[in-house]
Amino acid sequence: MSSTRDTGATAPTPELAADTLLSVRNLKTYFFSREGTTKAVDGVSFDVKQGEILGIAGESGCGKTVTSLSIMRILPKSGKIVSGKILFNYDNQTTDLAAADPESREMRSIRGKEISMIFQEPMTAFSPVHTIGNQIIETIRIHQPVSKEEAREQAIEMLRRAGMPSPTRNIDQYTFNLSGGMRQRAMVALALSCQPKLLLADEPTTAVDVTIQAQMLNLLRDIQAELGMAIVMITHDLAVIAELTDRVMIMYLGKEVEYGTVEDVFYRSQHPYTRGLLGSIPKLAPGRVEIDPIEGSVPSVYEMPTGCKFHPRCPHYMPGVCEKRDPPLIEIAPGHAVRCYLYGGKEALE
Amino acid sequence: MTTMMDSENRPHRAIISVRNLVKYFPIELGLLRRQVGLVKAVDDVSFDLNENETLALVGESGCGKTTTSRCIIQALKPTSGQVLFQMDGTNTVDLTQLEKKELRAARRNIRMIYQDPYSSLNPRMNLLQIIGECLVINRVVTGRVELQERVAELLRMVHLDPSTMNRYPHAFSGGQRQRIAIARALALSPKVVIADEPVSALDVSVQAQILNLLKQLQNQLGLTYLFVAHNLAVVKYEADRVAVMYAGQLVEIAETEALFLSPKHPYTEALLSAAPNADPATKYRPRIVLAGEAADSGNLPSGCAFHPRCRYAQDRCRQETPALVNIADADKPAHQAACHFAEELELVGITGEIKSAK
Repeated sequence: MSSTRDTGATAPTPELAADTLLSVRNLKTYFFSREGTTKAVDGVSFDVKQGEILGIAGESGCGKTVTSLSIMRILPKSGKIVSGKILFNYDNQTTDLAAADPESREMRSIRGKEISMIFQEPMTAFSPVHTIGNQIIETIRIHQPVSKEEAREQAIEMLRRAGMPSPTRNIDQYTFNLSGGMRQRAMVALALSCQPKLLLADEPTTAVDVTIQAQMLNLLRDIQAELGMAIVMITHDLAVIAELTDRVMIMYLGKEVEYGTVEDVFYRSQHPYTRGLLGSIPKLAPGRVEIDPIEGSVPSVYEMPTGCKFHPRCPHYMPGVCEKRDPPLIEIAPGHAVRCYLYGGKEALE
Repeated sequence: MTTMMDSENRPHRAIISVRNLVKYFPIELGLLRRQVGLVKAVDDVSFDLNENETLALVGESGCGKTTTSRCIIQALKPTSGQVLFQMDGTNTVDLTQLEKKELRAARRNIRMIYQDPYSSLNPRMNLLQIIGECLVINRVVTGRVELQERVAELLRMVHLDPSTMNRYPHAFSGGQRQRIAIARALALSPKVVIADEPVSALDVSVQAQILNLLKQLQNQLGLTYLFVAHNLAVVKYEADRVAVMYAGQLVEIAETEALFLSPKHPYTEALLSAAPNADPATKYRPRIVLAGEAADSGNLPSGCAFHPRCRYAQDRCRQETPALVNIADADKPAHQAACHFAEELELVGITGEIKSAK
């Protein structure tokens, strides 16, 4: 993993391989407040390939949402990208989103058109005083030179694809006319209205019932197959990750601790935290399957442990090693990496 | 009171028997609050909660599971029906008929744990006050020393350090707060604890700790749990029996293993099939994806409330409302379902494969 620092606009932007859509490199996003600095994302690197579904999983405070807000450049005022690169391939060129001005014309043309986002609570994605149709049409017309009538046709088509029961009627409705499941579909239609290359989905299935969740997962799967965009699925729910994704990254307190294919992570997990998480979830299997919780709880942001941040809860804690310095990310098999001293990196401590 | 025998012929004693429980909320409109309709939140629900068991109440939002639990503890006054509570060996009372004073005495035996430990604990009270409040009100303890001893004992019971009793909830994490809420619920040594989504707001790793703690306390203190939840994997782990609700009615009730492996109601089958499983191997399994949304309790369809979404629905389902009846050929004695075709349909549980997924 390279530790290139962002040295400003003069540094040439590295080219990405053609099949890589997004490459986040050593991203650090910190929040500054009177109480101190919160290192919400503290050196995360990952790639998203064209058309793949990547899952980012972790518990509260692991930085998964801040990672997605950093990519979209819609962080709250107290949050800043302090270093790292967010390389995005589009229009046959590579742009570093981390270096762009969030308010710039370029960023605005990417947001909503090339990369769009869906949220846990659909009410926050829509304005309550405009019809959903007007909001989708507005998005389309900002990014594409089409007439109102054409945009309306496209919006109806998107609502239909998102599984709205009667798109021609739904387009003139407000969010309060719609039920929870329909709002989610409307939000998917809005996010996909300009056929983005990357969809960031932040816990879109968390606040809904299982039957609606199943509809939503099917919808994302179908739309991904149809439109071929890449999806980054951000969730705390490992069952959703297992159902939907191709590759997974597990995060803990601002860092990725393990990544690999969904099979690597679920069947051959190596990091004690990943194993602990998988051991904590009850399974839908016959007979009694015991669960084995991780000790303790996620520490508060102001009492961050030194070294490997998982060491106070880790069953394999090695005194004199783990608390010294953050372990490096070690590739244990092609495409499967773990950040843990059990798999090497101890030599560098000497 | 009904007495049922399980497979080992031990009698199950019902500690709470819910009989024909009904809770309607009026829909009012306009200046004169004219009543224009009824939300049938709970519509004729009957079941037994047996001593020392965990009965899970599952279903989607709006199915009436929380309303049912609130009607049991009389936080909501039921429209009609009985909630029979076995106070001690001989004395059975109907909670819906009690005067305020008698109800207070009965409620010492039935306590609640809520979903969100951030809103269920008063931020301006320390642990001693939060947990000790009901001890003082009910005059269970005399004097400060005894109060502190009892609170310390309760904190140890939920694996918290008794020396923290002078701290305030903000100093604790979500999981620790839920432990505080559990300690508060146990303060009066209740017989029954109603836990309304007690782990839904917690992180995955902490959720497992709380589930295990609840089990351990049940064994230690002989508690009976009514466990209201929507996460089926959690229910599978925690419950002895499961009751499934849909649109205010009980559609199926059975022992956990029987319900998950051979459901008898098409709604249960669909729920099990829709539940995501943390195993990539089952990623591409065919599944039943129910179209549309759960029936509106304010405007229920005719006949079986589930028929518009049911893949097996026939004419009879549109006209006749099915009753909750015992399934004759089920191997376990207490398997009930409310479906006209419960005995004919071959429904698939978590191990089977859905043949024609639609």
